[in-house]
Amino acid sequence: MWVYEKKLLYPVEVTTCNPMLAKYLMEQYGGADGELAAALRYMNQRYTVPDKVIGLLTDISTEEFSHLEMLATMIYKLTKDASPEQLEKAGLGAHFVNHGHSLFYENAGGVPFTATYIQSKGDPIADLYEDIAAEEKARATYQWLIDISDDPGINDSLRFLRERENIHSLRFREAVEMLKDERDRKKVF
Amino acid sequence: MNNFDERVNLLKKVQQMDFVVVEWTLYTDTHPNDEDALEQWREAIKEAAVARKQYENKFGPLSLKSIPSRQALEVGWRWNQDPWPWQL
Repeated sequence: MWVYEKKLLYPVEVTTCNPMLAKYLMEQYGGADGELAAALRYMNQRYTVPDKVIGLLTDISTEEFSHLEMLATMIYKLTKDASPEQLEKAGLGAHFVNHGHSLFYENAGGVPFTATYIQSKGDPIADLYEDIAAEEKARATYQWLIDISDDPGINDSLRFLRERENIHSLRFREAVEMLKDERDRKKVF
Repeated sequence: MNNFDERVNLLKKVQQMDFVVVEWTLYTDTHPNDEDALEQWREAIKEAAVARKQYENKFGPLSLKSIPSRQALEVGWRWNQDPWPWQL
């Protein structure tokens, strides 16, 4: 089970209302390589992986949910004071007529989240390679977001998130090596 | 320092210390025999608990795993009370 903590993993400070930036950030909220996809992917794979890597998938999945909350906070703060006109100008007119000022799991292009973004193969090496790729794609997306954003508060949080994807990728690669070592040892006997 | 600034500063301290725990936890997940890392992980958990207690004594529990302090109850602390993390 999970217990809610009334705090963010890392502070989110927004400099100005900026619905256009919020729209771009939705890529990491409900997009294919976003935080929701990451959290759900690992949380679902963990049941059938070898015991050695269950902890890692559980812990990284839990952290991804805290990243999701950071993204939600950014999007909320960037749009809460925007008028319908401002939202429309930022390309969020269609979002507004369907969702008002509320958030939704969709990507920067407005495409709703789908489970087809993620996979679970019942093969730990295949799953972990997908996880490594997911982290690298998320890292790249954060880089593009930093490149396009001029909000210093948002960029600070995005840099933190980008570095976390690096660490997750590294840990997943170590997990692959742990499983390969075990497999090779079994062959010897 | 006013109440709001103090709250934000103490919360940042909790966030920092909790993050160290998150980082060592992931590291020890893939380095289960690294005794030095395990020691630092245990130390980080202790330090995070100290920072959490400092915040919670004054501003109330961050989760329902903590007992509300007398001080927090006296100023009317309730779980269902803003600011929520995205409102801060």
